[in-house]
Amino acid sequence: MTKVVIVSDRIETALIGPTGPEHRKLANKVMEEALKQARLRFEDLSYIVATGYGRINVPFADRQITEITCHAKGLYSLLPTVKTIIDIGGQDSKGIRIKDGKVINFVMNDKCAAGTGRFLEVIADSLGVPLNDLGKLSLEASRATPISSTCTVFAEHEVTNQLANGESVANLVAGVHESIATRVYSLVRKLQIEKDIAVTGGGAKNIGLVKALEGKFGSPVLIPPEPLITGALGAALLGKEKWEKARLDGYTPTRSKEGLQEAKLFT
Amino acid sequence: MAEEKKRRAVATKTAAGIPKFVRGNLSATLKAKEEGKKVAKAFIHDGHDEIMRAMDIVPAWGESFSGVCAAKRDAEKFLQKAESDNFSRSLCTYATCHIGFEMAREEQGGAMPEGAPWGGMGRPDMILGNGQLLCDPRFKWPQALQHYLRDVPVFVTNMYYPPWDPNVDHHEQEKFYVKYCTEELHETVKFCEKVTGKKMDWDRLAAVVDLSDKTWDLFVDTYDLRKAIPTPMDTGDAMNTMVPITFNIGTQEAYDFYVELNNELKEKIAQGIGVADPEKYRLIWAAGLPSWFALNDFQYFNGKGAVFPVEVTYRDHEKIERLDLPKTNDPLERIAWRWVRYWTHWYDAARKIPGSTPKVARIIEYFEDYKCDGVVFHSAFSCRSWHAGIIHQAEVLRKVYKDIPILIMEGDIVDISSYNEADTHNRIDAFIETLEAYRNKQKN
Repeated sequence: MTKVVIVSDRIETALIGPTGPEHRKLANKVMEEALKQARLRFEDLSYIVATGYGRINVPFADRQITEITCHAKGLYSLLPTVKTIIDIGGQDSKGIRIKDGKVINFVMNDKCAAGTGRFLEVIADSLGVPLNDLGKLSLEASRATPISSTCTVFAEHEVTNQLANGESVANLVAGVHESIATRVYSLVRKLQIEKDIAVTGGGAKNIGLVKALEGKFGSPVLIPPEPLITGALGAALLGKEKWEKARLDGYTPTRSKEGLQEAKLFT
Repeated sequence: MAEEKKRRAVATKTAAGIPKFVRGNLSATLKAKEEGKKVAKAFIHDGHDEIMRAMDIVPAWGESFSGVCAAKRDAEKFLQKAESDNFSRSLCTYATCHIGFEMAREEQGGAMPEGAPWGGMGRPDMILGNGQLLCDPRFKWPQALQHYLRDVPVFVTNMYYPPWDPNVDHHEQEKFYVKYCTEELHETVKFCEKVTGKKMDWDRLAAVVDLSDKTWDLFVDTYDLRKAIPTPMDTGDAMNTMVPITFNIGTQEAYDFYVELNNELKEKIAQGIGVADPEKYRLIWAAGLPSWFALNDFQYFNGKGAVFPVEVTYRDHEKIERLDLPKTNDPLERIAWRWVRYWTHWYDAARKIPGSTPKVARIIEYFEDYKCDGVVFHSAFSCRSWHAGIIHQAEVLRKVYKDIPILIMEGDIVDISSYNEADTHNRIDAFIETLEAYRNKQKN
């Protein structure tokens, strides 16, 4: 998903648009929509920060900052007591330790879809359950069916076999949540976890997964009001901070000379 | 994109001579037959270097061969060959790449496998191994090779040194280990004499050991020049300049290489030429063999103003004076003392920090001496032996330095399928931001 957050002294607008092979180059379209929603012109924006995996595909951005730093900033503005962030996104999962809104350590899960939102998408697809319904459905489970395979493809086979053996869909979904929570816990525990703990990303919208994470971490977790936009919010806040500091120091920050246009990388 | 600015990264000119060394070592194994010399499949840092050099035995370095395959991104065919005989991908890929190469050659009746990098490596006449404390491939690799090279004799020694125990004074034990190592080396000489049909020239061996000692000293003096700010040489370069001391120790060529490097670094320092301009962050490469197929990652760091003036990897040498070696007339006992004292000389420092280890004591020493701002580890998936304990080391460093930025990268030495460039660069970007935040916090 492509997210745009525009801030002044408050959040002017927050918008989530699609991403994909075709849309990846169209960050400008999501930005246009966000500007329309906020009743602003592109020229009204003082500074633009791009973040996330696609940050290099935003020609009109003035600066790129990684999602690690942006998540920390965004979440700190919403939940300042948080010291450990668990981000479960579509492409990866991360653990971030923060102090006063600054990153002091981080870990990322890569090379493998286990423990990420993609794992949930694959399983939801094979069970024929809409992704958004997985959380609620798992709360109806009588037990969490153990899923021993960590590999997404093998786990999908395992779930299909269990289904054929008569296991309930709810139990299987609970088992999948348990599997992801175990994976994420073993990743994030490397950070010397400190409370409060917050969960962000698409995974935070899944109540079943959140419950499983609370079980693993042995503590309730906090969820920001809109867990999908914390990174974009952090990017906007860092942009604002950069622009304000430049003004205070008496100079104009360097801006991208590219207008609101699509990325040329893919054309 | 407005703030993206490429920064200058400068490599040493001396390092440009390294491919000649590596090619020279490989071609020496091919020429050996014509010259009537024997080739030994050997391991680096095994204590056998001087014995081989003094007996005109040509070393065939398996690690170097596999590293070259990886750097050329041409290891896959050999890894797959080994995998076809049930060698798992989670085994040491230096070993499996080389074993795959030897398997292919034997299947072709001794003909060099097509596309072997830089002409390939000569078939060994003997295999020398060494069961160090940690690295299990040092004895399993020779054993596995013997399945395919049935006629090649194998000799595996055990060059042990006192294991780390914070409650035991290793100084009381070391002489027993030295005696054991010395005997192992004498047995190695007997084995080599049997295979080559030649007697050891003990005066020549003593001269080779003396030359090694001189090279150790010069190497450390040269690398210490990197303490300069800005540093004139990066770890990216050191992954090349390690070749002479690692693969050619005991030769005049290795010594001469460091004379040249030493001169170049002094010149650079005098002219204020650094690896990165400006040099923003100084990092220590605190553990891990590099991903040979992704050495450009060092330039990625450099491009962001981050330099590595020091690394633990391939710096397995120390000033001889610091090791305080007892006098002996036996060059093999000299090697044994140097071996045992080298591996144990951080033990005393480690005992002073509760919960620490010699590896951490060494990192702390370098971190302070080279005025570093952050720590980078590389966890190579297939090398358990030298990469075990990285997380523990990071935890101890955090106890000592609190919120010090630490990055643990993940990849492999040879197997590119364990590596993800986009994610690696993403982690480096985030780490650089963490360094900046840490620096700002220190200022305030």
